[in-house]
Formats: sequence, structure tokens, C-alpha cells
Amino acid sequence: MNSWPFRSVLVANRGEIAVRILRTVQALGLEGVVVYHAADRHSPAVRMADKAIEITGKTPVAAYLDGEQIIAAAKSAGAGAIHPGYGFLSENTGFARAVAAAGLTFVGPTPEQIDLMGDKVRARAFVEAGGFPVAPSAIEDDDPATFVERARKVPLPLLIKPAAGGGGKGMRIVRDLNVLEAEIERARSEGQRYFGDGRLYVECYVENPRHIEVQVLGDAHGNVVHLFERECSVQRRFQKIVEETPSPALTPELRAKICETAAGIARKAGYRNAGTVEFIFGQRGEFYFLEMNTRLQVEHPVTEMITGKDLVHEQLRIAAGEQLGYTQADIKSTGHAIEYRIYAEDPARGYTPTTGPILKLRTPNNVRIDSGIVEGGEVTAAFDPMLAKVIVTGVDRDDAIANSDRALAEYVLLGCQTNTAFLRRLINHPAFIAGDVHTGFLDANPDIAAEPALTESTLHKLLAAAAISTRPMRDVADTVPSLHAAIGDWRN
Amino acid sequence: MKRIESKLNTSSAEFQANFEHNRRLAEEFKEKQHKVRYDRPQRDIDRLAKQNKMLVRDRIKQLLDPGTPFLEFSSLAANDAYDGEVPGAGCVTGIGIVSGREVVINAGDASVKGGAWYPLTVKKTVRALDIAIENRLPVVHLCDSAGGFLPLQAELFADKYYAGRIFRNQCMLSKMGVQQVSVVLGHCTAGGAYVPGLSDYNVIVRGTGAIFLAGPPLVKAATGEEVTVDELGGCDMHTSVSGTADYPASSEEEAIAIARDIVAQFKQPEKSRIEWLPPEAPFYDPSELYGVLPRDIKQQFDMHEVIARLVDGSRFHEYQPAYGTTLICGYAHLWGYKIGILANNGVLLNDSALKGAHFIELCNQARTPILFLQNITGFMVGKEYERRGITKDGAKMIMAVSNCEVPKFTLMCHGSFGAGNYGMSGRAFDSRFMFSWPQSQISVMGAEQAANTLADVKIRQLAKQGKELTPEAIAAIRDPVLGEFKRKQSAYWATSEIWDDGMLDPVDTRHALGIAISAALNTPIGDPRYGVFRM
Amino acid sequence: MHHAFKIDKNEYDLGLSRSEDGYRLHFGDATVPVNLHVEDDGTAVLTVNGRSERVVIATRGDDVFIHLGGAAYQLRYEHPLDRLAAQAQGGAEDNVRAPMPGSLVAAHVKAGDSVVRGQALLVIESMKMETTIAAPRDGIVQAVQFTAGQTFDRDALLISLQAATPEAAGE
Repeated sequence: MNSWPFRSVLVANRGEIAVRILRTVQALGLEGVVVYHAADRHSPAVRMADKAIEITGKTPVAAYLDGEQIIAAAKSAGAGAIHPGYGFLSENTGFARAVAAAGLTFVGPTPEQIDLMGDKVRARAFVEAGGFPVAPSAIEDDDPATFVERARKVPLPLLIKPAAGGGGKGMRIVRDLNVLEAEIERARSEGQRYFGDGRLYVECYVENPRHIEVQVLGDAHGNVVHLFERECSVQRRFQKIVEETPSPALTPELRAKICETAAGIARKAGYRNAGTVEFIFGQRGEFYFLEMNTRLQVEHPVTEMITGKDLVHEQLRIAAGEQLGYTQADIKSTGHAIEYRIYAEDPARGYTPTTGPILKLRTPNNVRIDSGIVEGGEVTAAFDPMLAKVIVTGVDRDDAIANSDRALAEYVLLGCQTNTAFLRRLINHPAFIAGDVHTGFLDANPDIAAEPALTESTLHKLLAAAAISTRPMRDVADTVPSLHAAIGDWRN
Repeated sequence: MKRIESKLNTSSAEFQANFEHNRRLAEEFKEKQHKVRYDRPQRDIDRLAKQNKMLVRDRIKQLLDPGTPFLEFSSLAANDAYDGEVPGAGCVTGIGIVSGREVVINAGDASVKGGAWYPLTVKKTVRALDIAIENRLPVVHLCDSAGGFLPLQAELFADKYYAGRIFRNQCMLSKMGVQQVSVVLGHCTAGGAYVPGLSDYNVIVRGTGAIFLAGPPLVKAATGEEVTVDELGGCDMHTSVSGTADYPASSEEEAIAIARDIVAQFKQPEKSRIEWLPPEAPFYDPSELYGVLPRDIKQQFDMHEVIARLVDGSRFHEYQPAYGTTLICGYAHLWGYKIGILANNGVLLNDSALKGAHFIELCNQARTPILFLQNITGFMVGKEYERRGITKDGAKMIMAVSNCEVPKFTLMCHGSFGAGNYGMSGRAFDSRFMFSWPQSQISVMGAEQAANTLADVKIRQLAKQGKELTPEAIAAIRDPVLGEFKRKQSAYWATSEIWDDGMLDPVDTRHALGIAISAALNTPIGDPRYGVFRM
Repeated sequence: MHHAFKIDKNEYDLGLSRSEDGYRLHFGDATVPVNLHVEDDGTAVLTVNGRSERVVIATRGDDVFIHLGGAAYQLRYEHPLDRLAAQAQGGAEDNVRAPMPGSLVAAHVKAGDSVVRGQALLVIESMKMETTIAAPRDGIVQAVQFTAGQTFDRDALLISLQAATPEAAGE
């Protein structure tokens, strides 16, 4: 791009994504500004940014949700554009509008597109009207009075979902109609509590579904392309852990069909900037529209690795008003890429979050790592437990898996427990190697999350290393004179 | 230094016979030792368990650093006394490593007569503290005793080196700046109360430990006062009211852990620096010692073969190799430490006595500790030797030995008869440590010689009265004397009476001496000074 | 053996001694030759029974974190004096600790309150899940360490109960 309409971009986010966005912003010669809460004062993004502006809030999370403060920061820093990252305000229609009203460029779709896709009920209706496949369902909004009755008619098992929800939160599976009404009430109160909106819809639940999503890009001139799919079936509590592309479940025909469907939906919405269309994919090859995320996704790197495209760069170009400049035929996919989310959690104990100081951090070479942590930092309960993403490529899936095992084994984080050992057990599981995964995979294979018992050999190694590293033990041993040390355990 | 060339034929019948004999003696020694250490009447073991008390060797195991050696003293003390009912004299002493420091351990064995102090118990304890004083070693006392054994009080109470000497030695240690810690694991009554009382630090176990000059029964008898053990001298009273005890502990394990932590606070000793090279195992197999030692006490053997199986690399620098050849003198390294060695290869003659005295002076001049390997039947006797001054020459050697400033170590390898014992640094001459091999013997003269001498006297007496004796009558006089002599010249008798610091299996000698030399270097080595050598 | 390390809920007694050219690990009946050599770059070479491998080690207070064989472990050191003193008191049930990091939603008791075993003491929130913490035994609340809204880490002391008196200890 020859001349940008904005000289400086403010990243309204934190952690690994702030670093990743700043990297492209600065590589393009633009100034990178970041806002931060005091808890993130020493984070890599703050250190990297050309300007860093402190924001405050009742809690650290609240600070990053304060649109007013963020827009004020952008103005005071002279930033002409705001990139919202993912989560936080990235899909907040009000924020997108306020950014535009402040005369700044919002790096993302239009507020109307955010609004449309943000309301799961409206989005679903829009997609169905376009002739694209959706799962059998009952939408409360269509007729609240008959909602429960219509819900009963949805084939079992069914899924109750909050209309304003997302990210897998607040959903309940029902297999027995006797509990349907009770579950609807609970889902409603949770939706009210977590999203401020108690409206629901009920969908047919595909058993052991695969989660397949498609990356799309659209410009302001009506051009839309897809950048192929990502499979994100390995999940826990409806949150993704491993994402890969291409999906091992798709034949070339199915791949083309799903990707074209996604592009079609985006085209129908006149979609602008980056977005992801998510589908539920059944064991018989059937697929249904799940939702569309009107932002950059956590797992976007795998798409970048196989297509060679820098999605943040594309987002900035589109936000600056440029045309895509290439057609669908120009987009090629080479090789295989897998992303692993490194979480601070204990998989053996129900994936409860863990905290602690980052005493040592060593990362493997020849692997892309998008990280928001540094050695010397601290993992606290203040934020989401995702610390970093490890993105591994290979010429094919087996190659990528082999490279992954090595990379995960070499990823060292000491001081706070992470899920790296769990990830290695996962990718070495025969079903994963065979590409035989679905969203219930981890629940169906609890041995993956379970911590294997320590072998005697490993126990000896750990105790030896720990004893020698512990001063009270080593000092006493070191004090023994060399004669007695050499004689050892002897009695006359 | 070059390696000693062994002239032994290890496949000869003689060697094999000796080997079998001595190996069996070592085995018997180990079996006796095992019994003495572990065989106890079940009721005594049960009693201790009911009282929540650990056995003494388990306490020592908890006290010592893992992976370190423990050199036990006089394990067979009292083996030929008190009808064998007081194994080990009822206590365990030795040198061990606690929190990285060399310490002397003095532990009562409550599984033997409640840990009562017999006369030999007192002697063994005094000896352990003498070792602590001479070698400046801190002491850990594990106190658990029923007090003095009343029926034998006349042999353990009043004299200079009886029970009082224990407490006097404790005071001397304190004055020297050598620390002591006591762990009170049972009752410390009367004199026994002074062990923790005179220790720099002490720990006491709640419930089982107590310190008092007299227990409740005696108090009641003396003043009519009725009081419980705990009220009178228990853990909480002494650690919070009287201040007699320093650290309360709620279990024996905790008490021992506290004691370890206390020892960890002791200052590290300044070791005397002597010549040292990295250690090396002997070139010849030490187990060949079994084949070197003859089955007959009167038979000679070449001490070079013994030295070759004790010292580093079997290397030895011999002093005056052609002169005074009945006494071998030379330098070697043992566990790296450079030492001088005097070893008997026959009777002591004028030249060997002179050589010995001279060599002892050389060792003192160079600050080299000395190891005496005894196999001596005595000095040469007869007119020619007296004219040459054998008495003077023996005196010179004894003068050198007595005034030695460097640490001395003595090993009874075979025979130790007569004044030769003195010149070769016998017990009276303050060797820091003395050990005996199982087949060794020690007496003023050989048993046969003594029995013949005594029988001779009797025969001449009777002859003066005109009585002629039959061979049977002679045997009747001679045999009991012979039997008694043999009993009291054996290594088992010597060790029972604590004339040494313990018996050793010959193959254990290297480790024992290494530990002994290391312990001895906590004391500074002074400048040599001698009395008058009768020239 | 005197010292111990805790891995998860398991306690392992062990000893360490010096040997001629390294150390020995004393564990159960086994004596294992071991050594650890720290390089300039912070990694270390661990040798056990003659076999060497690279490890990364970090310590903080009594915690030792070890990366070995492609996995990370945490061991907590227990000094012999602490263990033996704790055994004497049996204080495990006096301290109520957080099972996971989170924040305090509500406290149902305050210092001085008498509680029975199983009684709800407080409610915590973590990962949008609410959990009720119950009393491990009968007793009297000594102190509640957090106020509503405050966050804490896993194992943080939430509530302490007064030490049980001998009569109250029952069996």
C-alpha cells in the first residue's frame, strides 16, 4: 500500500493477539499504539508498542471493555484506526459505531454486520433465508408463546443456546424431554446473568459433531473470497484447544462445498473485512450453519501458514479502503498447519485454571509461536488462561504431527502448570492420528486428560534433580568430607 | 614411592590354608558381632516398643547422614564379662557423620538391662570422650539409661577414671570449644543428669525424656514429697521453667531431627594440613590378607605383604631398607593421606630399635602421622645384646614413641608380647586409635612360655621339698595356667576389657584407618619435643 | 530418611549424599548415583545411573519446577523439622484452602462463629462456575482471609479454624 489513510493504529487488546497485530502494524511502517491495564504493565505488547497508554477499570477485564476510554486514548495518541483483536469489544456494535462517530477507522466489518451476526437468532434466520443449510431448530423470538412446544418437536438430542451468547458459554444439552422445561429455565437465567439477555433458541444437536469453520475476507467493493477451512473439533467445555487445516474429515468436493457456502453467506451479507463462518459437521457429511464471527479469530495463524497471507495486513488494507486485488483462484493452500493453544490449566483436574510466576520460558525453534507472556511475568486469575499459541506446519498431516510432538516437548514453561503434556498425549492418541476427532472426543477419551502415573525411572530423576537443586539438602551433602563421601555407606 | 613387589604365591597350599583359617575367623567375628548388636530377649524389645522408644541402632541410623560410614568402637566390649549378659557393654559409641560433620556418638542401649551403666559401660564411655578430646570431635549423646548398676558400684563410682571422668571429660571438651549436644530419650537420673546438663545444647522428648538428680521413688524416700516423673523433670518443665533443657520435641524422630539441625550449626573444624594425594585402591587385593597371616601365632611372615594390601597403589618408600631389617620403616599413602609406617618383621634388635626411634623423629619433623603394625615377640635378649645396649636402644624407641606430636595409630596384626608392645605404641602410649585383628594375641609373654615358667617355679619349689612330680601332676599344674593365659591374651579378651577400640575384619582395616586419620586431623600438630634419649 | 518432596498429593521420603564424583539419591531401598550440572545458558544436564539428559529447572521458595522428558513437573520440598512438627499437631484440617484460583462471591461466616462439619462457609467463583466451600470439621472460625470480590490463587488460605482442643478432638 502506497499511502495509508491513517498513520497510527491502536490495538484495543492484550496478550498474544496484541503482540501479533502490532507485529504486522509495525512491519508495515505504521505506528503501533496499545492500551493496557496496570496488570499488563510489563507485558510484551506494551514493551513492543511505539506508544502505550494506561487504562483503568474496576477489574482488569473491565478496563479493556471500556470503549470510551479506549477511543479517548486513540485520539490522544493520534491513532487513526483501532484494531479490536478478538473477544472484548471486537463484536460490540456500539463500540464499532462509537469509533466511526469519533472519526476513526474501525478495523473490522460494519456495525450493521456485527449486529446482524451478533444476534444468533437473526443471523440464523438470515442464513436460512439465503438458502444455506441450518440445523432444525426452534427460535423463541419467532413466537415466545409456542417456544417450548416447538422446542419439543426438535429432534433429540437438542441444544439450548442463548441468543446473545457465543464462545460456547451458557449452552445446555437435552436428551430427555422430561427435563426440557427445567433446562430452558436454567439456560434463561444463565443467559441473563452472563450476557444480559435471556432469549433462547433450540437446535438439533448433532452427536459427535465436527466443528469446521471457513475464513472469509471481503472488501468494501463487494469482493469476497474464502481462505479455506479450519477444523476445531478438539474442545473442552466448548472451548477450542487444537485447530488445524486442512480438515482431515473433508474430501475435496466437501471442502469446496463448505468453503463456497461460507463465501456465499459472506457475499450475501456484503461482508467487509475478515470473518469466520462456523459450521457443525456431522458424521454422515451433513453440515449446518452454526454462527458467524465478525472478527479475527484466535486460530487464524493456521490459515496464514497454508495460504501465505497475512490476515492482519489484509484487514488493515481493507479498512483503509483498498480492494482485495486478487480472486479466489489466486488463493492456494500448501501443506498442513496445526495450532495448539497453551492454556494455564490442569487437564487432569477438570481443566481448572492454574496460576504462578513464569520462572523459565524456553520455546522451540523453527515453529511459529504467538505469545503474550515473557519469562519473569506472572500468570494470574485476572485474565483468560490462554497464554500462547504454538503453530506447527508440515508437508502433510503426519509430518505436522511429528513436528508438533517435538515442538510441544521442547516448549518449556516453569512456574505455572500448562497443558503441554496433555497436548502431547492428545496428538499421540491413535484416533487423533487417524483424524478421527469430534467435539466430544476428549470427554469420550478421559485417559488423555488423566495424568499418567509416574514411572519409577521418572520419579528417581525428578527427586534427584529436585534434591540437588534444594539448598538444605545439597548443603548437607556437600559438607560431608570427601573421604567419607567416597567410602559411602559402610559399617565395620 | 614404588609398588611393593609381592612375593606371595597365592595358589600355594600354605596360602590357601591360611586364607581359609583367617576367613573363617573373620566370619566368626562377624557372627558374634551381629549377635551382640541385634540379639535381644523379645521381652526387652517389646518393652521398648510399648514405651514408644526406638532401638539404639535405629536412632543412630536416623541421626547419621545417609550414604556415609559409621566406625563403631569396641562393639564386643564386655563379651567375656558379666556372663555375657551385657552385649557391647550396653552402649554404642563410634565416629559418624552428622550434618556433614565428623562427630563422636555416645548412645545408651536401653535394650540391654535398661541401659544400666556397668563398669565396662563407664570405661567405654570415658574412652569415647577421651577420643573426642584428643581428636577435638564434637559429641552427640543419645541418653537413655537406667543409671549405675548398683551391685557393681564399687567398680564404677569412686575412682579417678570411673563415672566422674565422664562429666570431667565433658567439661574439658567444653573448655576446648568442642561442642556437645545431648538428646534425652529416656531418664537421665543422678549422675546421668549431668550428661545433658554439661552439654552445650540438649533436646528432650516429651513423655519419655526426663532429667532429675533423683527420681520420684528416691524423692519420696528422701523427703516424703510425691511427684510424677513429668512434674519432677519432664520435657515441658525443663524447657519452659528451669531452662535445663533447650529444645522440646514431641517424638524421638523430631528430637533427632532437631539434634541434626543443631550439629549443622557447629563451626566446621580447621583440619591440620598434612601431605595428601588423591586416594587410590591398593594394587593387591586386600582380601589376600587372610592368606598372608599364618595359622600359628609363633610363625613369622613378611609384613611387606600386609603393607602392600593396605596402602594406596601398594606403593611404599622404605627407609633404611638394608639396616635394622626386623623393623620395616617407610612412607606410604592411605586414603590419600601420607603416613609413616613402622611394622615388625622379627624381634627388635639394637639396630631396629635405633632405626625406629630415628624414623619416628623423621615423621615428627615432617608432620607425618604414624601407623604401627604390631607383630612383636619382644626385644632380643642375651649377653651380646645387653653389652651393645639393647636396653638403652629400646628406651630410646619408647622415648620417641611417648613424645610423638603427630597422631599415632596402632594395629594389632598378630602377636604383641612383652616390652615390644611399648616400643610399638601400645595402649599406654596414647595412640589416637587402636584396633585388633581376630587372630591377634597380647600378653607379657607367650602362653606356653608363661605356663612353663610358672610350672617351673612350682616344680622347683616342690623339688626343694623333695617331691618329684609325675607328668600328669605337671600337666595338672600347667594346663589351667595355660588355659587362663590363652583366654586372657586373645583379641576377644582384649576387646572385652576395652584394651583396644575394637576388633576389625582385616579387609575393613583400610576404611577404618582412613576414617581414623581424618578424625585425628581436627587437632593441630605441634612441634616435636622429646625428653632425654639415653645415648 | 529425613527430607521429603510432595508431588501432587504424594509424599516421597528421600535422602541425598555426596559421592566421590557426584551425589547419591537414597529412596526406599535404592541408592542411585546422580549428578546435576548447570550450564551457562541455564539448562542443566541430569545424570541418573550413568544416563544423561537435558533438563530445565527453576526454583521459588520450597517449590522446584522441572522440565524433563518433554513434560513439566512441580515438587514441593518439606523440611524434616516442618514435617515432624506438623505431625505432632495434625493441623491439616485447621486451614481451608482454595481448590482453584478465583474470587470470593460471599462469606457465610465470620471470625468467632461456631461451625459444624459440612456447613457451608463461603462461595467462590472461578471460570464462571460457583463452588461452595464446606467446613472439614466442627470448630470455631478463627479468620476469613478475603472479602467479596477479591481474587486469590489456588491453595490460598481462605478460612482458618481455631486449633482443636484435646477434648474437642474426639477420637
